[in-house]
Amino acid sequence: MSDNFSRTPYSDGHAATHEEASKPHYTTTTSSFSRTPVSPYLNYDSRYLQQAQPEFIFPEGANKQRGRFELAFSQIGTSVMIGGGIGGLAGVYNGLKVTKALEQKGKVRRTQLLNHIMKQGSGTANTLGTLTVLYSACGVLLQFFRGEDDHINTVIAGSATGLLYKSTAGLRTCAFGGAIGLGISSLYCLYLIAQENSSNSSPKYL
Amino acid sequence: MEEYSREPCPFRIVDDCGGAFTMGCFGGGLFQGLKGFRNAPQGLKRRFAGGLAAVKSRSPTIGGNFAAWGCVFSIVDCSLVHLRKKEDPWNSIMSGAIAGGILSSRNGVAAMFGSAIIGGVLLSMIEGVGILFTRISAEQFRNSDPQNDLGRAGAFASGSGMGSGDINSSPGFEFPVVQQANATS
Repeated sequence: MSDNFSRTPYSDGHAATHEEASKPHYTTTTSSFSRTPVSPYLNYDSRYLQQAQPEFIFPEGANKQRGRFELAFSQIGTSVMIGGGIGGLAGVYNGLKVTKALEQKGKVRRTQLLNHIMKQGSGTANTLGTLTVLYSACGVLLQFFRGEDDHINTVIAGSATGLLYKSTAGLRTCAFGGAIGLGISSLYCLYLIAQENSSNSSPKYL
Repeated sequence: MEEYSREPCPFRIVDDCGGAFTMGCFGGGLFQGLKGFRNAPQGLKRRFAGGLAAVKSRSPTIGGNFAAWGCVFSIVDCSLVHLRKKEDPWNSIMSGAIAGGILSSRNGVAAMFGSAIIGGVLLSMIEGVGILFTRISAEQFRNSDPQNDLGRAGAFASGSGMGSGDINSSPGFEFPVVQQANATS
């Protein structure tokens, strides 16, 4: 480009004339570009290609965040594993207590410890997993029928989980379970709303 | 709802555990519901109550067993992927065998061996069906055989005294030659 030559000053006597002639260009171009000189061997100005924000490529029709169905299996697996871990630790404690009280030794103690760990671990894992399956199923069904995915789905799914889990234990226990589900999911949504307001990021519904 | 795709290792372990638990809960709930319905005392109200009680008591246990199997299988599968540096059906087959052996380790060595064989055979059938479906779906994308086309074109060109119906079925690049042959005859 010949414009790039006129912008860089020369040390010759002709440079004074060129610099005086191109001074209006100098003032207009400094407002849009930086003052760093560019190579005259480039056939384009590389500063046009600099952009600030990153770019992502999305498949056609795909939304930009994972929905509730994609996260359901992660939630269920996490709950089952956490339940198994908690139940396993409780089983270790109970097993040690029982075998110490009965003064068992050797292979009998080992078998009793393993029995306590596996029974209590699988029991707690099954309970937490069942609760999360109910929650995820209610959430996915609400998303499917309402066509929306927001905090209201989370609260309704939590309440429905409590109601369903205690649905055959009497009306008072059923209402109590629904209240617990409503309370936990409401607290979780309040936490998400507070986090959303503090970071000003796009919401991510679970 | 997007198309579901599997996570990479090691997050696949959690996803497979959750997926297996869900499959065990719903599938086991269906079968145990039917079984409880059949084994309940007479009367429609009592039958539905029996089915519901069976689902409540046995569905979480079946889900837990499925989750344990899926969790151990996925842990072994990810370990094999890490050790062998490749992903192929042999990973799944060996994972099925090893997971079957691990999960019956409290029943003795003979039970471990039997469960390992059962797991390996089961995963072999699953992978075999998968490969079969891949072959069937790939068959419709197969191109025609160019050697066969050349042979057919040579047969047309070497023949003499063809009828007018054969001109339409001949390949495009042989069309003027065949037409000239018919014009001379």
